Amino acid sequence: MENTSLAHHLILAGLLFVLGLTGVLMRRNLLVVYMCLELMLAAATLALVAFSRFNRTMDGAVLVFFVITVAAAEVAVGLALIVALFRKRGTVQSDALTSLRD
Amino acid sequence: MIPFLAAIDPAFAKLAPQAAHWKSILPEIAVAGLSLLCLLQAMFLPKALRSLIPLTARTGLVLVAVMALTAGPWTLPADVSSFGGLLRQNLPTDGVRMVFLLSALLTSFLADKFLRDRDAAVADYHHVLLVVTAAFMLLAQSNHFVTFFLALETAAVGLYVLVGYLRRSEASLEAGVKYLVAGGLSSALLLMGIVLVYGSLGAVAGVTDSLDFTQIGKALATQTAAHAVSPLTLAGIALILGGVAFKLGAFPFHAWIPDVYQGAPTPTTAFLGTASKAAGAFTLLILATGPFAPLAVKLAPLLAVAAVLTLLAGNLGALATTDVKRTLALSGVSHAGFILAAVTAALVLPGATAFGYDVEQVVVIYLLAYVIGTFLTAQTLVSLPAVEDHRRPQLALRGLLRRSPVLASALGFGIGSLAGIPPSVGFIAKLLVLALLVKAKLWWVLGAGLVGVAISIHYYFSILREAVVRPTEDNEEIAPLDLPFGTRFLIGALTAASILGGLFVLFVG
Repeated sequence: MENTSLAHHLILAGLLFVLGLTGVLMRRNLLVVYMCLELMLAAATLALVAFSRFNRTMDGAVLVFFVITVAAAEVAVGLALIVALFRKRGTVQSDALTSLRD
Repeated sequence: MIPFLAAIDPAFAKLAPQAAHWKSILPEIAVAGLSLLCLLQAMFLPKALRSLIPLTARTGLVLVAVMALTAGPWTLPADVSSFGGLLRQNLPTDGVRMVFLLSALLTSFLADKFLRDRDAAVADYHHVLLVVTAAFMLLAQSNHFVTFFLALETAAVGLYVLVGYLRRSEASLEAGVKYLVAGGLSSALLLMGIVLVYGSLGAVAGVTDSLDFTQIGKALATQTAAHAVSPLTLAGIALILGGVAFKLGAFPFHAWIPDVYQGAPTPTTAFLGTASKAAGAFTLLILATGPFAPLAVKLAPLLAVAAVLTLLAGNLGALATTDVKRTLALSGVSHAGFILAAVTAALVLPGATAFGYDVEQVVVIYLLAYVIGTFLTAQTLVSLPAVEDHRRPQLALRGLLRRSPVLASALGFGIGSLAGIPPSVGFIAKLLVLALLVKAKLWWVLGAGLVGVAISIHYYFSILREAVVRPTEDNEEIAPLDLPFGTRFLIGALTAASILGGLFVLFVG
């Protein structure tokens, strides 16, 4: 911790966040998209821990636990939906999701 | 509170929840308990008595509503804060609590028949529905970003389940996955925004808890006065508002709405359109007029542009579609535009009133009117036999007037209330928002609202035309529809509410 500053942590978190966002927008495989969403949450968590450490307030560190819990619940429901869709359609490519249209 | 914590640090004693705090969230606790009761009943009741489950849920919801009405902060001073500032209750949060309870109650009526028609589990649906309702009720009262985030996410995860509930229906699953990705993205943006606000305001002198709405508001007020708001804070606020706009379905974050609303089971569509939208609208209102109020000068033009574009995008989109559920979804976007316009008016002219109602009350009235109109319309769609997931529901509407005049009139009053035809409550609600816009001198937004109303009358009445004028297809039976007594009663009550509600608002309230 001695050699790193808040800026280092924030730059890393920002990079991870943008990486995740790019993946969500660009990738076509739903599982990869979902992993990228989790990456964005992880980036936010990293920034949260860094702020908590450098601002010397505990609230951020506590919020991290809640975020991890929420992310776990989201993954449970999300994977269930993706698996159910795969069973029905045999694919998890987002291009194949075309049954809803006008 | 656990006594030994107070021994560690006197600060704990000050923060400790008291009996009055628990009492203030009794309705939320009751709704959560009710959701568990649904599961217990599913476990222990014999198959023949399973139909009691939705009945218990509905009776419970009515009792909770009565409890919240009689014991809520109606009688208390303007603002009551509890749990060490995590929650805040006042007249508007109590009003919006009613919106959520009413919406859950009506969704339960729709879901009961809808799910039994499709051989899907009724108890599980009610369980998740009630969890989401309790989460929304807490969300509206949150005064701290931890409660805010947790309540919002609890509701979001539950809604993913409700949207993708029909496991055998491709449309429902596809809508579920699309909602999952859109919702997950908005949650991630929102969380990043919260983190940036927390971090950039955490180092400011005098701020002990940079997640608390009140403290954020104070810190921002000082910084704005000194013209020293850090860019990191502004980026955070933008991300938070973007995340909330996603939930509300405001431009430019409304792209997911038509697909998800079309594919979701119709009761869920109605719940998404009313409760979820109400949650988005109300949180936007409390954020914009609460912690972020010092930035009103910067936010107001942004929200005004978003309101105009949301009104236009929703109405033009609805005009271009023919599928009934998609049309209603996009018209919901335009309703979100109206609410955004009201919030903008609150920012431009703090303390603005219309006919004696302040902005928060106008938003609650608008939401209630929208609930009534949406559920009257949705009731019609659900009552039509076997409108398959993929068939165009508007074809099933044909000849409705001859098959069931009651349903046709329900559709008529529902559409009339959504379109804002006098003397419906929808008309009064729109009138209140337009009056606010006149007071705040937001002529552009007012113009977009009026244009929107004109366009909406066209597409709303083309739905009604299908039901009233168009003949049925040749191979379609035109057997009269028989409605159960409960449905007739519900339609009657909602119709009465749509007519009398507006007059009540105008002359009594």
